[in-house]
Amino acid sequence: MNERLTEQKSIYLQISEMIETDILRGILLEEEQVPSTNELAKLYTINPATAAKGVGLLVDEDILYKRRGIGMFVSKGAREKILAKRRAAFAENHVAPLLAEAKSLGISREELLSMIGERNI
Amino acid sequence: MSLHCENIVKAYGGKDVLRDVTLDLQPGKIYGLIGRNGAGKTTLLSILSAQNPATRGSVTLDGDRVWENRKSLSRICFSRELNSNAESGLAAMKAKEYLRIAATYYDGWDKALEERLVKLFDLNLKKKLGKMNKGMLSMITIVVALCSKASYTFLDEPVAGLDVVAREQFYKLLLEEYASSGRTFVVSTHIIEEAADVLEEVIILHEGKILLTADTQAFVDSAVHVSGKIEEVDAAVAGLEVHHTETVGRSKGVTVFLKPGQAVDENRDVSVQPVSLQRAFVALCGEEEVKQ
Repeated sequence: MNERLTEQKSIYLQISEMIETDILRGILLEEEQVPSTNELAKLYTINPATAAKGVGLLVDEDILYKRRGIGMFVSKGAREKILAKRRAAFAENHVAPLLAEAKSLGISREELLSMIGERNI
Repeated sequence: MSLHCENIVKAYGGKDVLRDVTLDLQPGKIYGLIGRNGAGKTTLLSILSAQNPATRGSVTLDGDRVWENRKSLSRICFSRELNSNAESGLAAMKAKEYLRIAATYYDGWDKALEERLVKLFDLNLKKKLGKMNKGMLSMITIVVALCSKASYTFLDEPVAGLDVVAREQFYKLLLEEYASSGRTFVVSTHIIEEAADVLEEVIILHEGKILLTADTQAFVDSAVHVSGKIEEVDAAVAGLEVHHTETVGRSKGVTVFLKPGQAVDENRDVSVQPVSLQRAFVALCGEEEVKQ
């Protein structure tokens, strides 16, 4: 929750991604309450409507759920869901730009594969 | 339920400062009023708060005319920018008196909040306004705005004299007050970037006219910067609304405002980058606009 906001992406998307990342890292645990939209608004100095939009995305995906009159909580199985989602998006978000850059630099498929092979994961 | 102005015209000495301004301010929102110097921002705010008569047009709060209407006016606060020069007539007034007069004007004045803010800003209320520096005067206008508890509160360049720490503090206080009260705020500012994330909607005033009112995020998302080889850029943005063209040698950069359903042609060899509110504003209100 303490990453900085950048200008490269819509703020509400960054808010939802930060909450997801905190769930992945075990900073926020399942069945635990997440900060309210007003708390998020104050922390990041953003409009509460923007914070609510970011939180709303996660509610739509069942990563967060609302307890009436109390606030937002992390759903059971949220971590698995985020992992599955990010894995599915990995090729598009990370491999595709890697290939595009490799292509514009004239790096061959073999060279690229050997670069990956040389590194430990 | 709104503060509404319709077809406002304001003429000063034969020049129209505001030209046919129609605006609807909804309850429970933070609006940003942005525009270049002389665009008419202060004039518009003073007319909305009936501190200044319009040449033509009307201002209503929840359907009632605002002009000389005590009941409506106690729900509207325009905390004007203070300056310490003598001709304003306020220079000899102590800060304490200024706040006391403000407190008598607004029925819902929050004395506890006033004390908290005075302490937080470390303000010496025994000081005369004429002896205060720009930062302190900004803080006084902020105290008046927040403590007035008015349903519609206008802040004219509230952060102009503040250092970066105090500016951040101000925005947090504004959000805190907004969250707990649901009041409507209109903030005019030149320091656009810092305010961008706080503003739910932007109102862009240009040469006395409303150029645009939009959800801030939607407006920022609709603008992109496209750059690359001149021919590639021209092909990628053909048929789109193009502003602020800059060319260097074979390279060209443009800011594009996309309408729903439009997109930059991605098959062209160009870079497409997001744009900040400030860049979008400059592209829209800058001088060298080129329309296609």
